[in-house]
Amino acid sequence: MNDFIAQLKKKIIKTLELEDITPDDLGDDDRLIGGELGLDSIDALELVMMIESDYGVKIDNKELGEKVFSSVRALADYIKKSKPEIAN
Amino acid sequence: MTTTRVYITGIGIISPLGKGLAETKKAIKLNRTGIKPVTLFPVPHTPLPAGEIDFIPTGEVPRTHALALIAAKEALKDSKTPPDAIVLGSTTGGMPLTENLIKEKNLDPHLYRYHATGSVAEYIAKKTGCTGIVLTVSTACSSGSLAIKLGLELLRSGKVKTVLAGGADALCRLTYHGFNSLQLIDPNGARPLDQKRKGMSVSEGAAMLLLSAHNNPPENAFAEILGAGLSCDAYHPASPHPEGVGAAEAMKAALKDAGITQNDIDYINLHGTGTIDNDLSEAKALHSVFPDKLPYLSSTKGAFGHSLAAAGAIEAVISVISITENILPANTGCETPDPALKLTPVQSPIELKSNEGNVISTVLSNSFGFGGNNAAVIINKTDKYKQNPYQKLRSVFTVTGSACITGVGNTNETLNVLKNNGTCNGLVNIEHISEILPKSKIRRLKLLPKMVLSLASLAYEQSDKNIKPSSIYFGTGWGSLSETFDFLDKLYESGEQFPSPTDFIGSVHNAPAGQAAIWFDAKKANITATGGDFSFEQALICAELLTRNENEGVMLIGADEHHNVLSKILDESTALDSFPSDGGGALILTRSNNPGLKIIPSFLGYSINNKKIIHFLIQSLGGAARINELFGAVFAGIPAGRNSLAREQLAEFQSIISFNKPVIDYRKFTGEFASASAVATVLALQYVKEGAIPSLSGTEQCKLNGKGILLLGFGDFISTVEIQNQLG
Repeated sequence: MNDFIAQLKKKIIKTLELEDITPDDLGDDDRLIGGELGLDSIDALELVMMIESDYGVKIDNKELGEKVFSSVRALADYIKKSKPEIAN
Repeated sequence: MTTTRVYITGIGIISPLGKGLAETKKAIKLNRTGIKPVTLFPVPHTPLPAGEIDFIPTGEVPRTHALALIAAKEALKDSKTPPDAIVLGSTTGGMPLTENLIKEKNLDPHLYRYHATGSVAEYIAKKTGCTGIVLTVSTACSSGSLAIKLGLELLRSGKVKTVLAGGADALCRLTYHGFNSLQLIDPNGARPLDQKRKGMSVSEGAAMLLLSAHNNPPENAFAEILGAGLSCDAYHPASPHPEGVGAAEAMKAALKDAGITQNDIDYINLHGTGTIDNDLSEAKALHSVFPDKLPYLSSTKGAFGHSLAAAGAIEAVISVISITENILPANTGCETPDPALKLTPVQSPIELKSNEGNVISTVLSNSFGFGGNNAAVIINKTDKYKQNPYQKLRSVFTVTGSACITGVGNTNETLNVLKNNGTCNGLVNIEHISEILPKSKIRRLKLLPKMVLSLASLAYEQSDKNIKPSSIYFGTGWGSLSETFDFLDKLYESGEQFPSPTDFIGSVHNAPAGQAAIWFDAKKANITATGGDFSFEQALICAELLTRNENEGVMLIGADEHHNVLSKILDESTALDSFPSDGGGALILTRSNNPGLKIIPSFLGYSINNKKIIHFLIQSLGGAARINELFGAVFAGIPAGRNSLAREQLAEFQSIISFNKPVIDYRKFTGEFASASAVATVLALQYVKEGAIPSLSGTEQCKLNGKGILLLGFGDFISTVEIQNQLG
């Protein structure tokens, strides 16, 4: 699971082109959208595309998005729950 | 003060609910819907509901142009003369064709000649024989209403007697997949105001109104445009202000412009897209503008879908139908109104009986768009109210600050290099230029919005800072090419599954101006004009028409980016230049009478239908004697793609007025790009201030002896911008 979280962090940084941020700056439980990184709803939609494209997991409404993007761990949990074979 | 009244004397419309006014009326009365799963292009998922017109264009032009022409022809069917002016809103332009060509990897420039949003209005001008002012505005979903507002002001100004105003947009992959990537499409079809609503249905269409200025209503008048108001949220690139503050401001401005109160409104045609956020924000705005009692209201987007730039114009036609037929159109698709909105929409069409005193006389139509662009139009039964007197138009602006960026750097760097080498062409070094912008604010922005924010900041820093700009006027020939290309590239690369929402939001032509509004908290008009090589001049004319308040600061910007793939296939002039260039200019303007540099937009006309245009131009400038007396040099815009036509026009101008002072072909040193005139304007301001022009790309240096510089644009249009140190 920790490896999966580390992989997700790299993908988030790459997708959103967060130039000055390293995976270590992204705490597993830090608020992802609306937190200190300054990420907003448009970034969330960009991550929706990446997650569907890379993991085949859909996050197709705002309420679900708010839950799933609350932290990297919540996101990893959701992907794992939707596609158990991916995160193992 | 003046009181010219503006009447609608011709109407043309095509939408998923039919072609022509008669079919549209019938569809409204029968509460038909035009929303069904998309078939226009294959999609890799269950096709989502959209508003599609059963129509295949047969000619050489893209779908948007063909739709616009159908509406224009109907609007003009009883006119014996061409319209004096055309104002058209469009966001897609030739995109329906362009996106197919890009998908096929066909990069033949000839096939892209109708790509520009501005080419729609130009095509209509050519087909209708118009020789006057032609403006294209691209402010996303408020474009159609903005076009009507600009038409209204053109007529009030007395510059013209008739204006063909409206909007056109065709359904295409860019808008369908773009809105889908934002999760703003309702898989069940738009259900505006419904508690289960999930989004809009993207649609297409065109509507054109022939507007005429009269002192008394002509016999053929359908209705009157009583007033219109504009505002900008200055809040977010794509989401409306959650409290609807900007929307309320636009409605209040429209009521003020019309000289009536909220109690005089009988029916509101809502923006009502059906997205969760829009409907909530609009509801809050309505409650703040109509605190006591709400008039009848409905959104017609459940039936017509959201046709983006056409929507405001289509809904103006629906408003006219409401007045002339005394009917309340239904809020199609809404089964259970969302209690959170506290609104009671008209559920099914109601034909009122006028003998019982129920008369729809005055209608408010709302249109809101990306970039927080808001517009509201008030349409009125002929002569119900007296026309509110309004201030006479003034053309003169005082320049309080200016800046340019070019291939060699910012204003000072450009002036220095020009002095030494006589040229400043090349590509903008955006890293260098945008160093002044905080990194966190520009993280998601690509080239054009960075250029625009840099220009705006530089111009403001250089101004006296007494007046902060509250309205933004932006001209761009091609818009954000990087975002547009990247959106399509990613869309096709992923089998049309995973486009970038960020690129979609950034690809709309008014995205950079929306960013500038947020930057400056500029909450008044936010206009993006997209008229090819004349976009900057069109933006200046829009500012002239919409700015009357002396204390209002205006930010005027013109900018274009060079894109490695697109620029050469879209812009003929760029293709002919061996050295690619881009850049732009920005000015801070006021209406104050303080001493200082003055700028006056004095002429814009479509040259293709008018062999005598140079005579009109000279006449509009006050004749040969005035031109020779006031101007010490001409800066001529001669786009390489129109070289022979432009040189003929220039030669005719020089010979008629015996102009023997320097004529400087500025594209020789700025390079070839659509907004080169914005750079030329900023440089000309500097030279007028200094009283001399250095040697520029082969011309001799010259003294201006206190005189100004006349900027002339040649080609398919002729434009003039006067720059003087004080008024002559």
